[in-house]
Amino acid sequence: MKDKVTFDITRRGFLGTALGGAAALAAGPSFAQANTLNILSHRVHQAVLMPDGGENLLAEWKSAQDAEAAFTTFDSNPLMDRLFREASLGSTDYGVGYMVDNRPTSEIASLFEPLDSYQKDDPIEDFGDIAPGLVQGMTVDGNLIGIPVRHATQGLFYNEALLEEAGISAPPTTLEELVEQAGKLTFTSSAGTPVTGMILASDLAVFPVMFARAYGGDFITKDFELVPSPEAMEKGLDTLRGMFEAGSLPRSYATTKNDDMVTWIQQGRAAFTVLPFARNAQLNNPEQSKYPGKIKATAFPGSSSLPSGTPMAAVTEAWAMVVPKNAGDKQLAWSYIKEVSSKRVTTGMALNGNGPVRVSSYADPALIEKNPVAEVEAEVLATARGAFPPFPEAARAQATMLEEVQLAVIGRKPVKEAVAAIIERVKPLMPS
Amino acid sequence: MRTRSLAELMPLVAPVHILILSVIVLPSIFVIWLSVTESTYGQAPTWVGLANYARVLADPAFHGALWNTVVIVVFAVHIELAVGLLVALLFASGLLLRRLLLVAVLAPYAVSEVIAVVAWRYLFDPDAGPVTLALQAIGLPILDWSFEPVHAMILIGLLTIWLHLPFTFIILYAARLAIPSDLYEAARIDGATPLQAFRRVTLPLLGPAIVVALLFRYIFAFRIFSEVWLLTGGGPARSTEVVAVYLYQEAFSYNAFGTAAATAWIMVVASLLLAAGYVFLLRRQVTSNA
Repeated sequence: MKDKVTFDITRRGFLGTALGGAAALAAGPSFAQANTLNILSHRVHQAVLMPDGGENLLAEWKSAQDAEAAFTTFDSNPLMDRLFREASLGSTDYGVGYMVDNRPTSEIASLFEPLDSYQKDDPIEDFGDIAPGLVQGMTVDGNLIGIPVRHATQGLFYNEALLEEAGISAPPTTLEELVEQAGKLTFTSSAGTPVTGMILASDLAVFPVMFARAYGGDFITKDFELVPSPEAMEKGLDTLRGMFEAGSLPRSYATTKNDDMVTWIQQGRAAFTVLPFARNAQLNNPEQSKYPGKIKATAFPGSSSLPSGTPMAAVTEAWAMVVPKNAGDKQLAWSYIKEVSSKRVTTGMALNGNGPVRVSSYADPALIEKNPVAEVEAEVLATARGAFPPFPEAARAQATMLEEVQLAVIGRKPVKEAVAAIIERVKPLMPS
Repeated sequence: MRTRSLAELMPLVAPVHILILSVIVLPSIFVIWLSVTESTYGQAPTWVGLANYARVLADPAFHGALWNTVVIVVFAVHIELAVGLLVALLFASGLLLRRLLLVAVLAPYAVSEVIAVVAWRYLFDPDAGPVTLALQAIGLPILDWSFEPVHAMILIGLLTIWLHLPFTFIILYAARLAIPSDLYEAARIDGATPLQAFRRVTLPLLGPAIVVALLFRYIFAFRIFSEVWLLTGGGPARSTEVVAVYLYQEAFSYNAFGTAAATAWIMVVASLLLAAGYVFLLRRQVTSNA
């Protein structure tokens, strides 16, 4: 028996093996589908189509098109940046992108394929069922550039267990009640956790806009009117400032981010927050939340000072699927959009936590049974609208407004001066 | 020895030149061109001359960001240098468990900046952070960084020192180990006290290493981004914003590529000015002391 193992390889042997292997791979069966559709999206858009351990809603499309959907996912702002950069190139590998509805200005819209002709030649199933307001939001200069796929409508979430502990039997129906209850709920819970009445992120326009709307005001209307009622904006910011001074908003308000809101509510560190209704499942997830089944949602209330019957316009944000003009196989992209927009997939995504863009989805018994907030979400959606309309300097306008709001809420600037500064600084940024 | 002609040498050096041209020179020229145009997505660049530079230099938010950057650079880099020097001398003087301690000192450099900031954010959480609770328990004031801009700047400074101390330390430690021990022996025979040996032997011979460490850290620190962006996002109300965050916002939040490119070039010039002045003074001092 040889006690030494040798491994001799000659140049000829190496080249022969390499060539033979390459030839076998080339002649063998295909390991991938014939087509790949590259998609740029947020992780959540992929997750509602292909949930872990759940039904793959794209299975039929994949089989029919002999195609694979390859997702590249980013957080919202980096996603928009990557999508616009891809669409600005000579060509892109991405066939479909997901765009949020406050971004398509005329310049941005010019980078994407008008979809009217696709819809005319090969229509989406019952297109009229998709909320007309959302379709309108993706129609720029008369061209339909995106098909709505998801909405995130803001609701008021509350921890029912903490409310009960504080002797509160029902969630607030007016803004004044909300402020009062948030004050009562700024306490140390029986679990020994210091509770803050409400948690809000300070880097999103949603929250000051909701408080301004609660008093009948707004930041920028869909007709591009800037702060139509300064008094209402002042009342909204006064309310936020009062809550901050009372401790009902955390001292860390100015550095609080969206993720903090989710964590604080799940951990019982805050009693109220404002988040999209679609977050309901996550907030009540037993693996993450200390209060599974106890985090409930209702409509964000308006002020009692408003005339009776005045609807509260909550903030909603919609996402749409777009096709870059420089994409390759646009027919494959359209087939994907058609499939994802179908009634079956829309309802399927809704069951996985997506905000459905079809009105009919809310009547689906399975959705009603599985999603306890579906009914209230549908009611809120009826009067909801975007935080502000798209225009070239919208992001800068939002940042400017948030800077002044932060100064006002944490007491570094009088509210009246902050509102005046918002008007003065944002005015030059408005479209002419 | 045979002298080679330029034509013979070109193929040997060309790859380096091509690499430098393609990854440094051409992108830099592109950024210069971008800085004199107004451009965003879906809009062809239009020539605006130096308007972007004027706009950035006149923006109060940029002034604030530049001031914050200079404060962090000046304080953090010097404190880092002092601590790095102290630790290097401590190690060179002989320590128990030196290898283990060396790993501990170098560990922050192996940690991702993002993970480091998340960890510090948790540790210093103003309501429930372990460090905050510990400080409260022993009656010391806490770092109220989510509300007080000065506290936020202190935390950012501490974090950046912790993250980059290994860089300064390793340069100074290597330089200290390279100093021949017979110089210290001669100093001791001549009756020098430890402090005199440090002033007359260690410091002059460490001079070049200190200059290198300072120069690199000045340039790196001027680009500080992750620590600020992930900890405070530049808030409250832009009070802790630094120049790199300002640039990021211009480019990726507002998609204003012209002003972003102008900011980038202003950053380059400002950091070189800041570093060049200091390095010149230090070099002169080291030369005169040597």
